[in-house]
Amino acid sequence: MQELFQQISQQMPIVFKALNEGFAQTLRLFFVTLAGALPLGLIISFGSMSKFGPIKWLTRMFVGLIRGTPLMIQLLIFFYFPGLVLGKNIWGSGETGRFTAAAISFIINYAAYFSEIYRGGIQGIPVGQEEAGLVLGMKPGQIFFKVKLLQMIKRIVPPISNEIITLVKDTSLARIIALQEIIWAGQAFMKGRSGISGAIWPLFFTGIYYLVWNGVLSWLLGRLEKKLDYFR
Amino acid sequence: MMKKILAMLMAMMMILSLTAATAESASDKQYVLDKGVLVVGITDFAPMDYKDENGEWIGFDADVARAFAAELGVNVEFVEIDWDNKILELDGQTVDCIWNGMTLTDAVLAAMECSNPYMNNAQVVIVPADKADQYQTVESLAELSFAAEAGSAGEAVLNDLGLNVTPVTAQADALMEVAAGTSDAAVIDSLMAAAMIGEGTNYAQLTYTIGLNSEEYGVGFRKGSELAADLNAFLVKAYADGSLITIAETYDVQVALIEQK
Repeated sequence: MQELFQQISQQMPIVFKALNEGFAQTLRLFFVTLAGALPLGLIISFGSMSKFGPIKWLTRMFVGLIRGTPLMIQLLIFFYFPGLVLGKNIWGSGETGRFTAAAISFIINYAAYFSEIYRGGIQGIPVGQEEAGLVLGMKPGQIFFKVKLLQMIKRIVPPISNEIITLVKDTSLARIIALQEIIWAGQAFMKGRSGISGAIWPLFFTGIYYLVWNGVLSWLLGRLEKKLDYFR
Repeated sequence: MMKKILAMLMAMMMILSLTAATAESASDKQYVLDKGVLVVGITDFAPMDYKDENGEWIGFDADVARAFAAELGVNVEFVEIDWDNKILELDGQTVDCIWNGMTLTDAVLAAMECSNPYMNNAQVVIVPADKADQYQTVESLAELSFAAEAGSAGEAVLNDLGLNVTPVTAQADALMEVAAGTSDAAVIDSLMAAAMIGEGTNYAQLTYTIGLNSEEYGVGFRKGSELAADLNAFLVKAYADGSLITIAETYDVQVALIEQK
């Protein structure tokens, strides 16, 4: 047991550096996904609430398709299909191409989930408020931005928080297309990297990173929820 | 409604397959020359492909790949891939070749345009060192539960012998299974076993016993690519002028090297 701890403390600096690099990639994917999926989700939610049949129907089919298939398959399809089926690899080579493909898959996947949360938030606002707005002579756009939007944000914070925390852990799926995020970095020490091979502990140690980051996020999102309390 | 959707999907697939068929007509060598870089799909696999202290890829395969790319007059780029997806990576053009101590199995030969074999290897049985005496023959392995990398030559040989095997994602995972006791034994490459288990490694408690087969390493290109023939010619030349042997000696694998002629 003592021997094990000695070994770990020797390997620590090298492992730490590699895991930090991997986690930087994880965080990059996390932030890019949020930045893309939060607005895209709103647009999709408008589509699925559209009064024009075909748009509503198509959007809902799209959401069903994305939510009904595993993100892992979507990653494989986005990354490999252009080269396999169209005969042209659109992602380029190297880490950048893999990151772009992963980011697009994640944005589309999470936007589909977010859109349903937005839809719930918007449709959950009593119809009386819209009627009152119309009676007061407000335009539909004004009603959405001045009456509904902030109330919707307050309502959707808890379910969105849930998705955000899941997203932190889902980023690890990107290793299927060999994006070198933190799980990949931890696993590399099992095969051998930087003179360390057969080390199992770095993989389990990555769990600490996820735990700490999700702790920070939960705290921030909790504070946001409190700040929006003035609606009640 | 369902019928319409189905018809649309089928139409889309037909269009896609048509475009695929036309795209394949261009020469693969020309494609690589045009973009000026040979993208080599690898995994971290000492002593074939691994990183030195500066983060540069070195190893027997990496060094030979560099020399081959220089011969072609293109740059070389090493990309780490998931070994399970090597055929996808190749056909999807996200890499141009698989050059990573790849065993020339029937599956590999069917899916890729392969070079001549350049190195010998064997699949060896890994067991805890204290039990090694009991497992020195193929017959003694019957009761054991094995772990082997999914799609690897090790898994194939175990299936051929009718032994009980659990596929795992990497050879290193197979070692972990034995170390953790979740599998009784594992089958991995002898070159890898020599580097990763025994005295002075993280798996001091493991050892290897018998070899189950012998096999050879080769480089895989896209099906129909002229680059495989080019590499064969290059290997013959590099073997004749001694540079291939020098590289092999750098990584202490010269005994396994196959003569190129």
